[in-house]
Amino acid sequence: MKHRNIDTKKQSSITIDPSLDVFNNKVLFPEKLEKANTMLKEIGLPKTKEA
Amino acid sequence: MNVEKYPLKAGKQLEVFEFTSVGTKGRITKLVQYSYTNHKNLYNLGFGDKNTDTGEIDDTIISNNGDSEKVLATVVATLYAFTAQYTEALVYATGSTKSRTRLYRMGITKYLDEALNDFEIYGEGNRTWEKFRKNISYNAFLVKRKTR
Repeated sequence: MKHRNIDTKKQSSITIDPSLDVFNNKVLFPEKLEKANTMLKEIGLPKTKEA
Repeated sequence: MNVEKYPLKAGKQLEVFEFTSVGTKGRITKLVQYSYTNHKNLYNLGFGDKNTDTGEIDDTIISNNGDSEKVLATVVATLYAFTAQYTEALVYATGSTKSRTRLYRMGITKYLDEALNDFEIYGEGNRTWEKFRKNISYNAFLVKRKTR
């Protein structure tokens, strides 16, 4: 495993664990994702400052 | 957010994170995943417990491990890491239950001033988005890292 310095506010390192890459193409929370897609389709997005 | 956090593990793409909650109920493995939605640059934040025996993920379970603030701070740490990597990303988050959504709102409220230094934060209520305000009940949240 590798350590990377990443800005996580007061916690400067994260261990990169390639075993977690098995989840890259899997949706672990499908119900929540579907809920998000449905809601966003219906009401859209806010106008962000930087949009 | 100067709150104690758990050490994090992450996949190479920084889209999946894992940490272990240690509390009154023992050790509980937590997973955080940022999943791409149907909208460009918009990701859904998923968060739940991993059953280390079966590998199943459950985002409805209430752990009551006595460390909710530390857990929430650790999830926020994943948000910093994810948005540092994906600078244009918008992140959508809602709780799997009303009580968990309320917990998210309380967490944002508690650290709002500090969070606003780094993120634009919006809340959804009555089917419209607005800038996050304290003491308002929202169904969902959306955040975007501010560019420097």
